[in-house]
Amino acid sequence: MGAIAQNRGVATHTPAEEYLDLADGRVRLLRAGHGDPLLFLHAAGGGGWLDYHQRLAASFEVIAPDHPGFGGSDDFGDVEAMDDLVYHYLDVIDALGLDQPHVVGASFGGWIAAELAVAAPHRIRSLVLLSPAGLRLPDHPVPDLFLMPPDQLVATLFQHPPPAPPQPITPDVDAILAAYRDQTALARFCWSPYLCDPKLERRLRRITAPTLVVAPSHDRLIPVAHARRYAERIPAARLTEVDDCGHAMYVERPAEFADITSAFLLEQSLNGVSR
Amino acid sequence: MRFSFFHLMPYPHLPDNFDDYPSSSLTFPNKYFDPKLGNQLYHRYLDELEFAEQVGFDGVAVNEHHQSAYGLMPSPNIMAAALARRTERARIMVLGNAIGIRGNPLRVAEEIAMLDHLSNGRVDSGFVRGIGWEYFAHSISPTKSRSRFNEAHDLIIKAWTSNELFQWIGENYEYRYVNLWPRPLQQPHPPVYIPGAGSTETMRFCAEHRYTYMSVYAPTRVVRRWFDGYRQAAADLGYVPDQEKIALSVPIYVADTDERAHAEAKPAVEWLFYKGLKQPMEIVNPPGYTSQGSLRGLLMTDRKPFSALSYSDLLADGYAVVGSPATVAARLREMYDELGGYGQLIGLFAIGPSTHEQTTRSTELFASEVMPVLRPLGVGADA
Repeated sequence: MGAIAQNRGVATHTPAEEYLDLADGRVRLLRAGHGDPLLFLHAAGGGGWLDYHQRLAASFEVIAPDHPGFGGSDDFGDVEAMDDLVYHYLDVIDALGLDQPHVVGASFGGWIAAELAVAAPHRIRSLVLLSPAGLRLPDHPVPDLFLMPPDQLVATLFQHPPPAPPQPITPDVDAILAAYRDQTALARFCWSPYLCDPKLERRLRRITAPTLVVAPSHDRLIPVAHARRYAERIPAARLTEVDDCGHAMYVERPAEFADITSAFLLEQSLNGVSR
Repeated sequence: MRFSFFHLMPYPHLPDNFDDYPSSSLTFPNKYFDPKLGNQLYHRYLDELEFAEQVGFDGVAVNEHHQSAYGLMPSPNIMAAALARRTERARIMVLGNAIGIRGNPLRVAEEIAMLDHLSNGRVDSGFVRGIGWEYFAHSISPTKSRSRFNEAHDLIIKAWTSNELFQWIGENYEYRYVNLWPRPLQQPHPPVYIPGAGSTETMRFCAEHRYTYMSVYAPTRVVRRWFDGYRQAAADLGYVPDQEKIALSVPIYVADTDERAHAEAKPAVEWLFYKGLKQPMEIVNPPGYTSQGSLRGLLMTDRKPFSALSYSDLLADGYAVVGSPATVAARLREMYDELGGYGQLIGLFAIGPSTHEQTTRSTELFASEVMPVLRPLGVGADA
């Protein structure tokens, strides 16, 4: 199981890479920290372990799997759409032996987290949705991720972009193929309807977990109206809006968003019996 | 050697600020389509296809593209229908229907069967997946492209050849009653053409079904690899393909002298490659459109984008053939050797902004002075 650092200092939580065997393939996941289990569902850009995860690991046992077809996880060819993804994550939760984890989802992962909480409300301890995709709001359209050249994508995702890494002189073919594979998995799940499930909004009333919806006020990918609608439709939801930040909030301001996430989840942990 | 006249039906009247747009396709605003000019173009272009038959081409070809100034034929079957009763001898080549993006592929089987009757058995049926941008345009997931193409193909062939009502249940389509009226005139079904752009899946598919494999824009050295891939796929199945099943498609411009040909062709060829084919990676190759293996092949192939190729690069690499009749005949003969042979030449004679007079003159010169030189080539199985 995961490497659990004894010291609660942030820097000592090195994630362990693990593989979880399911009936139809293998899931790669990263795990670190101790505390209540926290399942982190990554955004459309792919999985990984960032400063944000590291900070959450100070208070929780953070488990960050790669979605089917992303990163180090197998393709799971039968996982064709969101309904399949929900069953996939129920399998993951079972295989990890988790009874009722906290679930944190960012963007595309936030959409999965919401669908999971709709389908199996009793399996979710509490829910944090970071600028979640998933709703169809025709008056607040989501720009087409698949059509954006790389520079436009960065401009859309970030208010204050991080410095660009130096470009390799010859293109790294393996890296290009890996990114194309991630995006192929994304397209499989959300090409059309684009990044949404038209039925999700009316189903959100099923969610019983205490929920925090977090969104940048000027998100250029998922307009803040989506987060507000989520917060309106989920019965026990709270909304936090943050100024001067881009959609990739947990990359752009990891400390602040880790604090917001941890504070909410710790509050829920205190309210209930730890599982 | 068989010769065809392939019309792309471009809309050449682009605005001065065209360079501000990422592409001529998908998002290029349709306010730049002038209905009056467009109307004239359709009639001019159909006249050119009919003219090609009159001067001796064996086939006239049309294709399918959507939401683009590159080509004005969202429905190739409508263009083929317009030609069917205005021509008498030439093959009518639909190259092809984009069955990967069609919602209802049975409709394609029906329309081609109708065209076969309208043309008295002269229709050739090409099938294409559709270019990446068309998956955006018609809201079809590119991750389903290969599966939809394969299934639509299998359904269409079965619909054409079955004498009994059948049920079709597949991954992408479900039909409880398939019972095609009319059945096609050509038996068992019209000849099938498949354009390929380097995908090994396509080469194998063509070889398995013994379909005609045709090239699209690429340098001669790359087309050689594709043709060899097709020949190898056939060899793996234990046969040598007829040369007629290997088709080179290439833009061709002929004038009475080399000087005049280059003066007239240069702006047209540059329009085609710099404007008509201006397509950033995002719209050509959306996620899942290309398999990991084929993408690796593409990335390892040392090919420059069209925008980085000069007019003389384009000619030297074999992207286009321009010159006097003698020059063009010699160059196509040279390419015949470089490609290990081909039995069909599908020429794109109406290039970008070239005028009707230029196009018909080039077409006529090609038919009268180039065809006779190349005609004996590419017959039978030996290259």
